[in-house]
Amino acid sequence: MLEILKREIYALAHEPLMWFCMIVAPLFCVVLFTSMMEEGLPENLPLGVVDLDNSSTSRSLQRNLDAFQMVNITESYTDVREARKAMQRGDIYGFYYIPKGLQRKANRQEQPTVSFYMNYSFIVAGSLLYKDQRTMSELASGAAIRTALFARGATNNQALAYIQPIVVESHPIGNPWLNYNIYLSNTLLPGMLMLFIFMVTVYSFSMEQKRGTADELLRMAGGNMFRAVSAKMFVHFLVWFTVGTIMVVWFYEILLFPCHCGMPVMWAAMLLLILASQAMGVFMFSALPTPRMALSFASLWGVLSFSICGMSFPLMAQPAPLQAMAWFFPLRHYFLLYVNCALDGYPMLNAWPHVVCLLLFVVLAILLTPRLKYALQHYAYEA
Amino acid sequence: MLTKLNIIFCSMLRVLGRDKGVLIFCILLPLGYPLLYTWLYSNETVREVPTVVVDQCNTALSREYIRKVDASPDVRIVAHAQDINGGQDFIRRREAYGVIAIPRNFERDILRGQQSSVRVFVDMSGMLYYKSILTSATNVSLEMNAKIKASTRAIKYEDVSLYNPSNGFAGFLIPAVLVLILQQTLILGIGLARGTERELKQFTGFQQILNVSDSQRVTLATTGAFLLLYIPITIYVLGIVPKMFSLNTIGNFWELWVFMLPYLLACIFFGLSIGSLCRQRESIILLAVFTSIPFLFLSGVSWPGSNLPPFWKNFSAVIPSTYGITGYIKLNSMGAHLPEVWTEWRNLWIQAGGWFLLAYFSVIRQLWPESFHEKPTDEQQEITNNSK
Repeated sequence: MLEILKREIYALAHEPLMWFCMIVAPLFCVVLFTSMMEEGLPENLPLGVVDLDNSSTSRSLQRNLDAFQMVNITESYTDVREARKAMQRGDIYGFYYIPKGLQRKANRQEQPTVSFYMNYSFIVAGSLLYKDQRTMSELASGAAIRTALFARGATNNQALAYIQPIVVESHPIGNPWLNYNIYLSNTLLPGMLMLFIFMVTVYSFSMEQKRGTADELLRMAGGNMFRAVSAKMFVHFLVWFTVGTIMVVWFYEILLFPCHCGMPVMWAAMLLLILASQAMGVFMFSALPTPRMALSFASLWGVLSFSICGMSFPLMAQPAPLQAMAWFFPLRHYFLLYVNCALDGYPMLNAWPHVVCLLLFVVLAILLTPRLKYALQHYAYEA
Repeated sequence: MLTKLNIIFCSMLRVLGRDKGVLIFCILLPLGYPLLYTWLYSNETVREVPTVVVDQCNTALSREYIRKVDASPDVRIVAHAQDINGGQDFIRRREAYGVIAIPRNFERDILRGQQSSVRVFVDMSGMLYYKSILTSATNVSLEMNAKIKASTRAIKYEDVSLYNPSNGFAGFLIPAVLVLILQQTLILGIGLARGTERELKQFTGFQQILNVSDSQRVTLATTGAFLLLYIPITIYVLGIVPKMFSLNTIGNFWELWVFMLPYLLACIFFGLSIGSLCRQRESIILLAVFTSIPFLFLSGVSWPGSNLPPFWKNFSAVIPSTYGITGYIKLNSMGAHLPEVWTEWRNLWIQAGGWFLLAYFSVIRQLWPESFHEKPTDEQQEITNNSK
């Protein structure tokens, strides 16, 4: 047993690719994503304005709109064509169009229309703008009325109640800042780790086959495949768990992402994800014991995990067959555990089926060890 | 000169054609992945998000509010709860993703001319739940506000969403994924081929006649072979797939090609350079697959490019997909013309030039006499024999 451990440590340490995939790249991704979205919620998105009216009303309207934190009116254009070109160049994400005669019509109670054109091919920017857009416009248009109401001696509260009788007060549970870093990094980065685990696990068995060292491995384990696999995976596990620990500490102790359940619970969830991913990697090679096929399987499953786990596009909106398939993706279970424990603050017991599922991956891999043994003994490497 | 180039080119095509790995990564993958992804996001947006209502007011006005929210396409009221805690129990069991709570004095306050707030609690496991529930609640209150005030607003507002009519997920993510697939599969295919060459210490079986003076020809032949392979693939991925799923395609075909040419070249040279790092066939899969996710984010499609920290902005400038994706979205989804994508187009040519130099250098290094006559190690010899 000890011999296998030493052999595996030697194999990993002497391959630069393994250093890269197990330590350098996962930690690089952690730094990349968390620093890229450090701002949390994008602010001051560049917007344009086409003001054909050029009156005191239209200018005060512009000032009101510019005052919102999310947007920043950077440019004004003389006509719509110019604004559209700027949008197509990517200078702005949207623009206001204030038609000619706004002030005149507003004074005559003819209800002029101000339009907001928004580019939805970059959805996050578009959605963020939309979030307050409706209220924004309501308040901005209310500003004119408010002045009139104040003049008639209304109090601020009365004026507000007149302009906006019903207000919607939003309470985003667990992430009140709508912080994108919290929203994405919490699942995306463990997902990256999972992808690396799939790849490295499959790769390491592929290399045994390619270099014809599988027999040696089996001999060292006294012919016991289960012992050989667990020893090999234990060495990997130590590295993965260290990286996973750094990730958890980085999220919940340094960046202080919300974690209602406390760091140790998420640490346990990370442990489960690592075990399940390693098991899934073993399963992949057992099921398709050629490097080409097994690595393709790992790539497909790994990359698909990010979509199917439902973190960005809800699973309930995906086609039914995929909804059923989601049970076979470790990241889906990890994501739900994270939502349950860290974000919403319920005990892990509340989401016990997902804990069981993650453990079932391990059982699945163990059940397939005879198949793996057969494959390593009988399948020759094929380029 | 030309005949030798011809021989190298043809033999390269033969070797690529026989390689099952190249078949998977450069043909099956670009054929299959776009279909899978477009299918996955075919619903575009999430409708009828299950929501619980806590109506503490229970009057005609509050019931009207609830009825209107339920009637909106994005939200479905699945239950009524006594209080907020009861409502959150549904979230705990994941039977609902939001709670809309109407206060006890809702109607009374409004009739007295006071402001009243409707509280909306949303599960933040997905931004789309938040967007659906909040948008519906806001729209209903704006609609009712207009009625309560019974006076016209001074100025009317309208929102026009451009370039993604359904405001959907597929309309925004798929074009980016399609362009990214071209780059990633090229890197995988080229890396696979180069790793194999290095493993077998031969250039497409022609090691006897190739020497360092053939570097130009080898670079040219590889570029030509992959370009040839990727012309039909690009037509399929960028031309046919969006049509099949009726995504936006308002770009001009020829303008798209003028734009895609430097993109494909930059990707090929990028792939050749990265491929030179591969000691084995399989290495490239480990090196390239994971990069899809960071590359996608660095292109500014999800996190707005205008808010990317300067360091990462500069970092992303060396990756072809950064400009390929934005340029393609502008041309094809937003109907821009070449002058509007001039920056991207120019940057792609600069990238192609830079990566070409690196790629060329790496080919020279590979053909350099010392490494050339280096005897394969026993291990490699064994593998060569095994694979034959």
